[in-house]
Amino acid sequence: MHVIRRLGAGALAAALVLTSSVAWAQTRIEFFFPVPVEGKLAREMTRLVKQFNDSQKDIEVTAVYTGSYDETKLKAQAAAKAGKPPSVVLMSANFTVDLKLAGDILSLEPFLAAEGTTREKFLGDFWPALHANATVDSELYGVPFHNSTPLLYINATHFKEAGLDPAKPPRTWVELVDAAKKLTKRDGEKVERHGFMMPGGYDYLGWLMSALSMSNGGRYFNESYGGEVYYDTPSMLGAAKLVEDLVYKHKVMPSGVIEAGGVSTAFFAGKASMVLLSTGSLSFIRENMKTPYDVAFVPRNVRNAVPIGGASLVMFKGQSEASQQAGWKFVRWLSSTDVLGGWSRFTGYFAPRKSAYDTAEMKDFITRNPDAKVALDQLAYAQPWFATYQTVAVRKALEDEMQAVMNGKKKAEQAVKDAQRKADELLRPYIDQTALKLP
Amino acid sequence: MTVDAIITADVLDVPSSPVRTVRRRRFASWRLAYMLLLPSLLGLAAFTYLPVLRVAIDALHVTPHGAGGATRFVGLENFARVLGDAAFRQAALNNLIYAVGTVGPSVVLALLFALAVRRSTRFNAVVRTILFFPSLVPLVAAASLFFFIFLPGVGLLDYYLAKLGVSGPNWIGDTDVALWSIVGLTVWKNAGYYMLFYIAGLQNVPRDHIEAATVDGANAMQRLWYVILPALRPTTAFVITIALIHMLTAVDHVVVLTKGGPSNATNLLLFYIFQEAHENFDTGKAAAATVISVAVLLLVSLGSLRGMEAGSRREA
Repeated sequence: MHVIRRLGAGALAAALVLTSSVAWAQTRIEFFFPVPVEGKLAREMTRLVKQFNDSQKDIEVTAVYTGSYDETKLKAQAAAKAGKPPSVVLMSANFTVDLKLAGDILSLEPFLAAEGTTREKFLGDFWPALHANATVDSELYGVPFHNSTPLLYINATHFKEAGLDPAKPPRTWVELVDAAKKLTKRDGEKVERHGFMMPGGYDYLGWLMSALSMSNGGRYFNESYGGEVYYDTPSMLGAAKLVEDLVYKHKVMPSGVIEAGGVSTAFFAGKASMVLLSTGSLSFIRENMKTPYDVAFVPRNVRNAVPIGGASLVMFKGQSEASQQAGWKFVRWLSSTDVLGGWSRFTGYFAPRKSAYDTAEMKDFITRNPDAKVALDQLAYAQPWFATYQTVAVRKALEDEMQAVMNGKKKAEQAVKDAQRKADELLRPYIDQTALKLP
Repeated sequence: MTVDAIITADVLDVPSSPVRTVRRRRFASWRLAYMLLLPSLLGLAAFTYLPVLRVAIDALHVTPHGAGGATRFVGLENFARVLGDAAFRQAALNNLIYAVGTVGPSVVLALLFALAVRRSTRFNAVVRTILFFPSLVPLVAAASLFFFIFLPGVGLLDYYLAKLGVSGPNWIGDTDVALWSIVGLTVWKNAGYYMLFYIAGLQNVPRDHIEAATVDGANAMQRLWYVILPALRPTTAFVITIALIHMLTAVDHVVVLTKGGPSNATNLLLFYIFQEAHENFDTGKAAAATVISVAVLLLVSLGSLRGMEAGSRREA
């Protein structure tokens, strides 16, 4: 008995020592980040994290480079499943819905409440187009970090050669087709230079199809309900038909699928005069394009509209209270005006905060790089990014059909019908649990 | 039996002694054997047997993604869903075409390479290294290189074809061509590796058989067909076995080059499993597809290994 009591006292003392030492020690947290563009970005991110660690003594952040967007999601979810969730993850912005539905990430509302602010106030400084992808079911789940939209890049030299004015890039689909025809160079049946090209690989294609259908007045998906996509609609059919016609009627775009790397290479090599790529490629193109180029809005048929892309900071469930608080502090620091502005100038992505563009450094940067200004102006027309239940599979349903169209295996009319059928099948389990779960 | 014999005889150096001592010694030696095996057994259990068990269990359950709801037992339903999935059937068909298209040409090429460089001369050593080189390049790196070779219009392949006045297709972006481009890459990558086995196999073809055939007036073709090839039967069976295993276990190039596209034209079974598990979060379906692929793999390996044994017995 005596022994037990003494043991108990000892344990208590040990526990006291332990907790007090914990209270004094730093909180260590992990931060997973992807790099969609290789090399320099990872080094810059490591530098930022070091700067944060040096700026205070309470929190020690370990930055873990986790590959592409998709791999980052995989690794973060695997770590969470194994009981060691990362505190903060930089996650592709359209995965937020899926992660929330899977119950993997924390609502950020309690942190806002603790700061005495509201979601509306907090998001007030972020571009309106970014709000939808940061919130799920009217709660904040992600803090936007860097963002992009599709952009039309044109070869100015080719424009002059073809008798077009590079200062007036095509604004509508009619002008786009017209310019593409003039820019295409043929040698008999063989095409020497294509007037237009766009990436057709998975992920990119879905994003660009959403840009084209939005420019055609469409929405692609239901922003407030994860169980609906609008594939078999006039706006998507028009977009699909445009792609089909560019290849097979106007013959200004190569048939088959070309990945983003192939499209930018063709643009650099002067084999494509106009290309549709992300604003995230702006720095890459600026550094590698040898001849003069220009950028322009994605041409419209009905209205100017593009989806956003990019990544948000999310926090994982299953971490201790101390770790959560530390993680939130780090999120707040990373998403501060200065850090976001610096990262934007380094990468070419947008800074999601409007205030970042009021700083002197940014104003100076925009004056020196007018192409960044065009990309920024287009943000006024930006729409939320496609996000549903089973985002990737539902997107692939459309992409598989569009790839068949680009290969001449299917007509646009049939393709959008088949894509809709496949997507509805995939969404069915969610629909049954939600919209069709009736009293 | 063999382990027992070796340890008893060699390691413990057992002299001929009364039965009881032998039995006790034998027990001790078994214990030693198991103790020596323990680390590898633990590793095997943790990283092979448990996952295998887990996959078998997962294949019989369904875990709804996100929509709320717990894991439940569904029996063979996952297998029915996998077999009814058009994407799975296409991946299986693609895999079959890929296997037949790759294994045949790479084994024939490997044999021809081996016959050409079997004599050890300095020149042949250089040629061997060149032929073996593609095997030294990791598949991911090879695929990244081929991305630039296959680039439509500006790629290396199209560049040289243009010099001949030919315009190539969109190598990995055309639904009819993409799988064959993947086949071509794989043959380039693997033939040199299989060549090594044939070079080794050729050293074991009895010289006197070849000489006897030559004396009997057989020409080179006849010597190859009636003497060398039958003697190489165990090598061929082995090479075909590992080649077939490669067909189901290596999809790095698909991941790098096409992600299974366009329109699933280059989707292979392993990549389909990856997509079901990590893109669609359907662990049940992924597990069922895994069980099916591994079963096929086991059958194929068993068949070829049988062939190999039969071949070597005939040799002996």
